[in-house]
Amino acid sequence: MKTYLYLTLLPEALVASHLPPEEYGAYLAIGTQKRARGQALFFKLSDAYAAQRLAELGVSPTLDRPAAGPLRHSAYLSVYRVLESIPITALESLHLITEDGRNLTLKPGTYEIDAAPRLHLYQEFCPVTPRVVSTLDPKAFAAHITDLNQRVALPALVFAELKLERLAENADAPDVDNLPYPNMPHLRDCLREFYAKPGKSTKTVIRFLQQDVLYRTLRKGFYVAVAGGGFAYFPMPSKQELETTHYTWWRSALSTFGG
Amino acid sequence: MHSALFWLTPAASLLALGFAAFFYTRMKRASEGTARMAEIAAHVRVGAMAYLKQQYKVVAIFFVALTLIFAWLAYGLGLQNSWVPFAFISGGFFSCLAGFFGMKTATYASARVAHAASVSLDAGLQLAFRSGAVLGLVVVGLALLDISAWFLILNHFVVDPSPGHKLTIITTTMLTFGMGASLQALFARVGGGIFTKAADVGADLVGKVEAGIPEDDPRNPATIADNVGDNVGDVAGMGADLYESYVGSILATAALGAAAFSQASADDAYKAVIAPMVVAAIGTAFSIIGIFAVRTKSGATQRDLLNALGKGINLSSLLIFVASYFALHALGLPNATGIWGAIVSGLITGIVIGKATEYFTSQEYSPTKGIANSASTGPATVIISGLGTGMLSTVVPVVSIVIGTTLAYGFAAGSWKFDGPSMAMGLYGIGIAAVGMLSTLGITLATDAYGPIADNAGGNAQMAGLPPEVRTRTDALDSLGNTTAATGKGFAIGSAALTALALLASYVEELKIAMIHAGQTTMTIANEVVPVASASLTQFMNFFEVNLMNPKVMLGMFIGSMMSFVFCGLTINAVGRAAGAMVDEVRRQFKAKPGILAGTDLPDYARCVEISTAGAQREMVVPSLLAVFVPIISGLIFGVPGVFGLLAGGLSTGFVLAVFMANSGGAWDNAKKYIEEGHLGGKGSSAHKAAVIGDTVGDPFKDTAGPSLNILIKLMSMVSIVTAGVNIAWTLF
Repeated sequence: MKTYLYLTLLPEALVASHLPPEEYGAYLAIGTQKRARGQALFFKLSDAYAAQRLAELGVSPTLDRPAAGPLRHSAYLSVYRVLESIPITALESLHLITEDGRNLTLKPGTYEIDAAPRLHLYQEFCPVTPRVVSTLDPKAFAAHITDLNQRVALPALVFAELKLERLAENADAPDVDNLPYPNMPHLRDCLREFYAKPGKSTKTVIRFLQQDVLYRTLRKGFYVAVAGGGFAYFPMPSKQELETTHYTWWRSALSTFGG
Repeated sequence: MHSALFWLTPAASLLALGFAAFFYTRMKRASEGTARMAEIAAHVRVGAMAYLKQQYKVVAIFFVALTLIFAWLAYGLGLQNSWVPFAFISGGFFSCLAGFFGMKTATYASARVAHAASVSLDAGLQLAFRSGAVLGLVVVGLALLDISAWFLILNHFVVDPSPGHKLTIITTTMLTFGMGASLQALFARVGGGIFTKAADVGADLVGKVEAGIPEDDPRNPATIADNVGDNVGDVAGMGADLYESYVGSILATAALGAAAFSQASADDAYKAVIAPMVVAAIGTAFSIIGIFAVRTKSGATQRDLLNALGKGINLSSLLIFVASYFALHALGLPNATGIWGAIVSGLITGIVIGKATEYFTSQEYSPTKGIANSASTGPATVIISGLGTGMLSTVVPVVSIVIGTTLAYGFAAGSWKFDGPSMAMGLYGIGIAAVGMLSTLGITLATDAYGPIADNAGGNAQMAGLPPEVRTRTDALDSLGNTTAATGKGFAIGSAALTALALLASYVEELKIAMIHAGQTTMTIANEVVPVASASLTQFMNFFEVNLMNPKVMLGMFIGSMMSFVFCGLTINAVGRAAGAMVDEVRRQFKAKPGILAGTDLPDYARCVEISTAGAQREMVVPSLLAVFVPIISGLIFGVPGVFGLLAGGLSTGFVLAVFMANSGGAWDNAKKYIEEGHLGGKGSSAHKAAVIGDTVGDPFKDTAGPSLNILIKLMSMVSIVTAGVNIAWTLF
């Protein structure tokens, strides 16, 4: 029986499980007898790192499962400052699970700076969960937030960029009907601040995540930043790819209520 | 010549049934696609037929009981025409038959339409529409068959020295077969409405909202019941509703024609009686031509698809518009041009009501956009603005009916006097306006039945995991069906109102026959003795003291108005209870079989169908009993004035309430769709959540209570017509 090691993002935890990623994702989202429900995000850690970490922690590779015993769905190994303890190279894949348990697997990709919009909206997932607007592109934002010389900094961070569409260039753009964010006037106020204070690079919009994030609002993908310059990028498939190759997941993602 | 023209009716009936068989055979020849598609369609088909079988059992019990009562009244007490029990059964039987064929076709068509959509959008549209046309043509075909058969049978058996009086007896007897159709329609509409919304609301609440499962996902145990519900509500229910309106309008007009020309020559009276049948026959033929005109190109937009359907209906209407002019003149009916004007008034009224419904319920226009905008401030404002918009939406249909009725009256009467012989002609004009509105039923009902077929095809494509381009096409066909469903409901309500008006006038004719049957040949009005057989409508009103100063009329009006609300309350609560049972069952299945959500276990679809069926059968009994017995009890207590009050109150309140219910429900539904299209935050936003709540509230409004009111207003008139003899014989006050 193979044992997998996962880093879950909401909440931050290191979890061992006998379930492969798809089944583990379904378990997180829809539970078993508990009838739990909810979106889930987690990284699968590489097998080599898993073996090493389990050994370090003194955990049996079989999770002490008797030969004919039931599978262990989840064995929590750590729940505090987990992300910063994991080398970025051990993050093998990121799994986005919908409310009803559908899985989309993202593999690391090469980050390229695009013709960057003027403003960006970032949703942080781990270890903290504010929603932030910034003038910095993802890589610059990653460097900024993990710069330990700053007054407010993190040793590591997982975040995603959310769509701002025309608001990225114009805080007063009228035609942004498809953006589902709560309290849009406040978001516009936050964006306007960058015009009033040209030197400002970040501004918090929401202090912590209160609702599920709608996957349809993701722009480009997820980012992992580690103090000292560590950076990884997990790109989202294109919309066309989602509608064709990953249709079941995409349809399920569109059925979620969030903000 | 005019006798020959009568034969157009049975000929049109056979033509309609022949084309229905042709479209059915063509549909059956098409491929069902993959094994999975066939399996899903079979689940829906088995569920739909199981529901229909159960419903027909309950209907049969009611029919047996009422037939025995009518037989006792006719043969035991001699209060009724001896043909009534047979006419009653035949009306119900043909209505059941139409629903059965319509639903059988629809449930066979869904997978085939999904498969045809993989070839092209046009192939999918044509197969779906022509499968829907089977219902339209079966309804008009069976209705015309039943009408012509009864006309020929009664013409042969009824013996009366006066040809004019013979026609009055024939037409008033035929009218009673409308009650069979009416009662069957009530069960089909109320039962179907409760079934479909219990399944829909239950599936949405626990599947979409609680478990986050998308629409039409095979993991949702209620998803098959939801698809079955589309068929039992919008195919069998709508078919029975319009079958009843169709026969009711033709028969009421025939009865009014016999009355209007009772003092004229027997030849003219005969022409007036067969004129509505001839117009309906012409309409059937042109509906078939219209059905063949519906086609589209590949890559068509939503507007192109809507235009394709519009082209068929407009072509049929235009042809009827022209042909009915020549037919009425060929018939040699007195004031043929005026009567043609009444038909045109009815046709135009139907079109205006359809357009007004579209305006108030489509997301293309400001009323529905306004409801969507109110979603940004939460569910409470969505509900408030939906209720307000629904109430405002009653203006155009009511004013259209008022104008259409006035014009029909004026054209047919040849004057605007509301007294004397012109009144009888005017009422005949109102009746034939209803016939004009319903003359395109063959194609308009095809448009209605197309909706659930396309919806089920979309569900089938989704559940069977067909390629994205196919799902895009079935989604486009489904979306078109949503638009046509709202306008179809508006048409059904408008035609029900006009038919009920004609039935109200026919009630007087039934009273006349009942009095003669009871041996009363004269009546004394203000010390003047008037022969019953030649008394005018005004004289009858005076004799029975039907005026607003008579408290019995006012009390009847109160009861009639109340009936509409009680009926709505009962049916809406019924949906709530049945949906609750469905939610419990889906939760139970998810808990008992965790593998359902993981996709490793199959849900028990049949159990959900059983729950909806049992809920619908249980809940439809009380509203149905009320609709049948309140007019009888009102008549026994308050007599003829009380019954007139009841019918007038029920019609005026029921019509307005039905428009309000259907339009507010439709507007809530499309406000949600407007947001899902990417407005006000789009899918998943808080505005979307608020709009989903509005849509859920509106579901029993538009698909259960509103459409059931159509039947209520007609059934109360029909019951009063059939029991007119009882009103004459017994009354407390």
